[in-house]
Amino acid sequence: MELLRQAARLLWKDFLLELRRRESLVTMFFFGALLLFVFQFAFEISAERAAEMAPGLLWLAFLFTGTLGLTQLFQAERENHCLDALLLSPMDRASLYLAKVSFNLFLMLLVELVIFPLFWVLFNLTSWHLLPTLFFVAFLGTLGFCVLGTLFSAVTMRARAKELLLPLILFPLMIPVILATIRAMEIILRSGELGEGAAWLRLLLGFDVIFLTAGFLIFEWVIEA
Amino acid sequence: MVTRNLSKAYGLLWALRDVSLELKSGDCVAVLGPNGAGKTTLLRLLCGLLYPTDGEVAIDGATLLRGPSSLRSSIGLLSPNEHFYENLTVQENLRLFSSLYGKKIDAADLARTLGTVGLGSWSKDYVGSLSSGMKCRLAIAKWILLEPKLLLLDEPYGVLDGSGVDLLESYIKEVCRSGGIVVMASHHVSRVLAICTRALILHRARLIFDEPRQEPWLNFQRAFGEFLPRGERWSS
Repeated sequence: MELLRQAARLLWKDFLLELRRRESLVTMFFFGALLLFVFQFAFEISAERAAEMAPGLLWLAFLFTGTLGLTQLFQAERENHCLDALLLSPMDRASLYLAKVSFNLFLMLLVELVIFPLFWVLFNLTSWHLLPTLFFVAFLGTLGFCVLGTLFSAVTMRARAKELLLPLILFPLMIPVILATIRAMEIILRSGELGEGAAWLRLLLGFDVIFLTAGFLIFEWVIEA
Repeated sequence: MVTRNLSKAYGLLWALRDVSLELKSGDCVAVLGPNGAGKTTLLRLLCGLLYPTDGEVAIDGATLLRGPSSLRSSIGLLSPNEHFYENLTVQENLRLFSSLYGKKIDAADLARTLGTVGLGSWSKDYVGSLSSGMKCRLAIAKWILLEPKLLLLDEPYGVLDGSGVDLLESYIKEVCRSGGIVVMASHHVSRVLAICTRALILHRARLIFDEPRQEPWLNFQRAFGEFLPRGERWSS
């Protein structure tokens, strides 16, 4: 309970800082929207080819905007050596991990809430009824991205070229999540049924649980390195 | 608090080597030495922000280990201008850190403490809008609220005005009087010597002098004199 209380306090701090600085969310949203416009100019997607193209393009947008968010995730802690102030305290280090995962997940889901309908509008897609199901799959994929991304954001926090290093380390490890999410979304867009993509969803869920647990266990070593 | 053969290396470079100390309740220790001697490294090892390459730090018989520990709630590091979120207000910062230390502070405690350090009217201002001296006063307020038994200070005098220095020194004396230990690294030699009960001199990562205060302190004068520019004399 103490861990959750501390995580809630740190999460509240991140919300306050984001509300006042408005750096991450605004940048992520505009970058995501910009990517969709570029895709719209570059590709012609008919309703028949939507299942084939949409998941890949959407996930490209989510990955890039998410990486942008991850590079900013520990910015407030880097300034004024605030991370030292946190590590000096007796708080459970996993509470910082939990707070950062939750904060990053919240930002990405907000961006996705806008990106999904924008994609459907820009490409004149008609399958609006599938959006809630697709959003659920995207949620599982985004959770996987956040649990692993937060861990590597902490690893690269003190690196000089962290903006370059983070995607180089993170993207190869994200392949199972990217693959499972794109395949599950593709199946749903073709069949209209969530159950058809159950195997990929199980893989996603497994990835989320394993890396969330691993993150909890090793974050202390990563952050205090 | 005891340190045994405390050593820290960064790659091949030793930042601190074989420092063994035994500090008792009420000690006020000045850590002196030229730039790069290892003063900040010693403080960061004592508070657990760095982990030793060799040796250990023990408080009340318990070794300071990696990760969260109840020992950490009894250690404070006062580093002027650092350790506060600039986009949070003075009181938001104090409430955040108090809650991480498991301390509940009410509005009256907060107002009284901020009044003590002269920040009573700035409680709703962002830390980013405070001057360096005010941030140092805020750091003093933080540790007054959190009541550490071991207080470490890294170059605390640089940004404080006259009344700020008086405030800091009365707080240091209060910590020592209540049975705490204060370890202070500074280049303001005459100031720290005026309040310390013991002095350490570090040079090239090694502890070359460790002695309780005496009058006259000839050994100290001899040891410290080595770091003064040629022709300059040290006087207390």
